[in-house]
Amino acid sequence: MAQTQAFETDFWKDANLRKVWDDIVPGEPRKTIPYTLTKEAIELYCKSVGETHPIYFDEAYAKTTRYGGLIAPPSIHILLMFSCTPADDWMRSPGTVNAGQSWSYNIPARPNDVITLQARALDKFIKRERLFVVHDNVFFNQKGDVICSGRGWTIRPM
Amino acid sequence: MTTTFEKLRAGDAIDGPAFAVSRDSIRLFCDASLDYNPLHLDDEYMKGSFGKTNFGGIIMHGMNNFGLISRMITDWAYPAGAIHRRLETRWVKPVRPGDTIQPSGIIKAKQVTEKSRWVLIDVVVKNQTGEKVATGEALVEFPRDLFCH
Repeated sequence: MAQTQAFETDFWKDANLRKVWDDIVPGEPRKTIPYTLTKEAIELYCKSVGETHPIYFDEAYAKTTRYGGLIAPPSIHILLMFSCTPADDWMRSPGTVNAGQSWSYNIPARPNDVITLQARALDKFIKRERLFVVHDNVFFNQKGDVICSGRGWTIRPM
Repeated sequence: MTTTFEKLRAGDAIDGPAFAVSRDSIRLFCDASLDYNPLHLDDEYMKGSFGKTNFGGIIMHGMNNFGLISRMITDWAYPAGAIHRRLETRWVKPVRPGDTIQPSGIIKAKQVTEKSRWVLIDVVVKNQTGEKVATGEALVEFPRDLFCH
């Protein structure tokens, strides 16, 4: 998909366009972009964490399961977080440190799903001289079904 | 032996896969996740301090831990017809190239609700010296209409 080909891997390039901790308004929606999840993207993600279960790769096997076809691993939201947000999103600020995340899973993402994200900063605070932002996120498929929802704690660069 | 909700007991263990962390594995995770934060790529940048943190070199993505824990949970749940419903994690120590990490889980509690059955699992990722690098909790649903393989 075009949005994948255009992905800017140099996170410094748009650094000056991104909000710093002071600019981030809890409750304000983040800009997001739809993303078509391909079988190839799922397979690459699986490779990166050593996933080998046939439900992600073998269509004939996957058809015999409760899901009736190929699915993505639940943790595919790790990819979706970056594929569904633009280059100026503050999650890409160099030096952003991930402190922890929690995710709830409703239904699996599948190959060729067109995935959308609703996301915002939920809270920001200072603890032990570190600048924290809490972000919350909900991913939907093309039918409007919730795939998963999650919250993360990041330490912002200073 | 297939795991069943009835047979599970608090204290039962789940073993996850060992994972060798290298510069290549971190780079692959960048490509797979599209997370190209210089924390994971740029040796020069990581020599410096930023904020209150100095890692002294590139580090693995915290979410690589998350992906490994999730893999352990789903590989355990699928054969039992169970569904991975939630994962909460916190990163305790950075992971660096050359480390070998391994997730594991301990059944913490079982709960029956009006419409389903649930298992809470304490999860941890340790490095090759036994240090905890990530901790958390997972929730797995064992639906009454089990769809087993």
